[in-house]
Amino acid sequence: MEENIIELRGITKQFPAVLANDNINLSIQKGEIHAIVGENGAGKSTLMKILYGLLEPTSGEIFFKGEPIKITNPSIAIDHGIGMVHQHFMLLPSFTVAENIVLGTEPRRRKIFMDFKQAIEITEELVNTYGLKVNPHLKAEEVSVGIQQRIEILKALHKGADILILDEPTAVLTPQETEELFVVIRKLVKELNKTVIIITHKLQEVMALSHRVSVMRQGKLVGTVDTKDATEQILAEMMVGREVLFDPLDKKEVEGTTVLEVQELKVKDNRGLFALKSIDLKLKSGEILGIAGVEGNGQSELVEALTGLREIEKGQILIENKNITGKDPREIREMGMAHVPEDRLATGLSKKATITENMMMGTHDKEPYAIKGIHINKKPIRERAERLIKEFDVRTPTQDVLVENLSGGNMQKIIIAREFSFDTPILIISQPTRGVDIGAIEFIHKEIIEKRNEGCAILLISAELDELFRLSDRMITIYEGEITGEFINGEISKKEIGLYMTGKQNKTQEGRA
Amino acid sequence: MKKFITSKDTEYLISLFLSITAALIIGALIMMANGRSPIIGYASLIRGAFGSKYNIATTLAKTVPLILTGLATAISFRSGIYNIGGEGQLYLGAFAAAYVGFTFTTLPGVIGILLAIIAGAIVGALYAFIPALLKVYYKIDEVITTIMLNSVAVLFTDYLVNYPFAANQGKMGGTDMVETSYRLSRLIRLSTLNTSIFMMGFIALIIYYIMQKTSTGYSFKMVGQNATFAKYGGINAKKQMIVAMLISGGLCGVAGVLEVLGTHYRFLQNISPGFAFDGMLVALIVKNNPIGVVFMSIFFGALKTGSIAMENTTSIPSELVLVIQAIIILFIAGEAGFKRIIKDYLMKRNLQQKVGGK
Repeated sequence: MEENIIELRGITKQFPAVLANDNINLSIQKGEIHAIVGENGAGKSTLMKILYGLLEPTSGEIFFKGEPIKITNPSIAIDHGIGMVHQHFMLLPSFTVAENIVLGTEPRRRKIFMDFKQAIEITEELVNTYGLKVNPHLKAEEVSVGIQQRIEILKALHKGADILILDEPTAVLTPQETEELFVVIRKLVKELNKTVIIITHKLQEVMALSHRVSVMRQGKLVGTVDTKDATEQILAEMMVGREVLFDPLDKKEVEGTTVLEVQELKVKDNRGLFALKSIDLKLKSGEILGIAGVEGNGQSELVEALTGLREIEKGQILIENKNITGKDPREIREMGMAHVPEDRLATGLSKKATITENMMMGTHDKEPYAIKGIHINKKPIRERAERLIKEFDVRTPTQDVLVENLSGGNMQKIIIAREFSFDTPILIISQPTRGVDIGAIEFIHKEIIEKRNEGCAILLISAELDELFRLSDRMITIYEGEITGEFINGEISKKEIGLYMTGKQNKTQEGRA
Repeated sequence: MKKFITSKDTEYLISLFLSITAALIIGALIMMANGRSPIIGYASLIRGAFGSKYNIATTLAKTVPLILTGLATAISFRSGIYNIGGEGQLYLGAFAAAYVGFTFTTLPGVIGILLAIIAGAIVGALYAFIPALLKVYYKIDEVITTIMLNSVAVLFTDYLVNYPFAANQGKMGGTDMVETSYRLSRLIRLSTLNTSIFMMGFIALIIYYIMQKTSTGYSFKMVGQNATFAKYGGINAKKQMIVAMLISGGLCGVAGVLEVLGTHYRFLQNISPGFAFDGMLVALIVKNNPIGVVFMSIFFGALKTGSIAMENTTSIPSELVLVIQAIIILFIAGEAGFKRIIKDYLMKRNLQQKVGGK
């Protein structure tokens, strides 16, 4: 366990606008689980991409078993037994599990034809060796996210990986799936003598899983510590560079009336299948209703239906008793709904536009920002943007910066600033802190609670259970387009809610039966 | 860091300038390879474009259709709907103007001119409306439909001028002349420069205003950059695309009208040597910036006029100018790549200085 299998010496990576890695010295020991933590933009992924040959360092050296090596592309990394599982899976959805696993090293018959039978045999052998259960015959698009991740891991192992790099592996998993993954990782290390590097920002997981932790902040390696000597608090402080206090949020009692009502809502997804099968919910002013569910169980479609971005098949949505069915996003906004979308780059922003241009969306044809709704009135537009930048602490030199040059957290703040500034009675907030650093998470959470205390009705969709438990007054679990349970926050544990999220328990069916 | 972000426009102007310079240098090399002096060649080109009142007038006359079709491209491309059908819209607009000009011959001059312009704009817009609807409601690629509709329009007007509307004086490939009072007056003797340049200027100002100063212009831009974002923010992306396409088609139609009323006084088969395509190149080079379209059109107009003079005095073929145009576009297309090369170089130098200073 003492032998350094990999050593990074003085790794520096300069991007046009940022120094992503600044003179990093890091050693990975054989047979350890090494966690690399840090806020978004701290340079973790960059460092791992350098190790895997996807990026070349501006300067610095990599030593493999004491020998200096140059990893100029991933195939060199693979030759040295380094494998990587990316945060976004790189599977071909219409290929079977077995085909995905052997992709790039396909077994052949007569050197030309792919040998499908052998591919399946290879997969089964891998499954037996590593205890990662997958069905080689299913198509990648047919299996759950957790299984897709297993396929990625098997793919890397099949290529001969001794050192596995896992980039934010638990971001898309339920608590149960996360635990299963940890069992697998422990087994790989203990019984099969693999080395695992895991990138994450979830400190609980670091504490539960790793032997050693390296903390990165703003491109620098703050330090490497033995996990048994660390606490979450210490690591958080190392990550942020100051004391982090997760203050309890100050929730006021608000007497609420129902402002949003969804009745027997049915919505189809892009493939034409029912993503929502009869959803009913009520949202009161001054409350935060959290929607818990594994991604892809209809949450996105629900949000799109509510905000007018997706057609409703059946049922109705009422805002203050007025039906919004068939109305376009603009009319729905005017009826009193604002929306922080789940995907900020695809929906929430135009990255090629300036901060000002992004902030004026929605006010661009309204007085006083547009005289008579036509002529752009620069002065109030710029003043408003300046005010929102200050109020929401967007870190930028000027408001004329293109959004693509900002960090994820700052992009998110722009969206939140814009949507919150409309002062609507209803807010739909989806994944508000995805890919956002700790400091910004704190800030965004406080803003959300403040809105709630002002009497805004908030529907919160999040893949982070911690976030839902922290903010929600009530929670609904959703599984395969159906509501499986409804809870007052505090009456259920994270573990229990996981069962409802995966459909293993169902309150409503019990009730109906 | 600030410098990297805020100086985008200056950065672009610099790389544009470098591209043009590089293209001119390559042009010079080609001249030298053919045993001709680039200095004499370029001198005669510049003299040909700006050497006298007549030459300047000819250059400016060439810019009229370029600016109109350039703006037409800019407004549609910026809205994320790609009108490649400007040529067809131009032909139909031109024919409509000629039709008005030889049919309604009794109107007062101003009314007749206005009527011809409006007719041309409407015909051009309607012709762009077809691919716009197909794109927005049936997701049929407008690039393909507009290109194909070009051929339809050009061949259709070919038919019209050769059969039902063939000129009475027996000349094939042209309609009757338009009413004399509808013809735009020439400004400089011998050159074709005429009052259409003022009309074009007026239209260009309106387009500039719409694109840069109105909420509609903002909507166009947002739809073009990220249609999902626009829709989410309450902009009717489909409607904006259709409107942009209508304006674009209308502009091309007017470009055709002004050719008829100002230059030829009738519709001719092959009335446009590809104005709309040149306009598209202009817009592409300046990244759909309306002011840029004006300046780049003047540059292109000068190249065109000058090249003919150059051919006459130095026997360097005028096609060389096409080579230069193509190289500029090539360089502009490679702009991002060049920028990265320069940035990487600067960064490495900075870093070395930092390391060296330790």
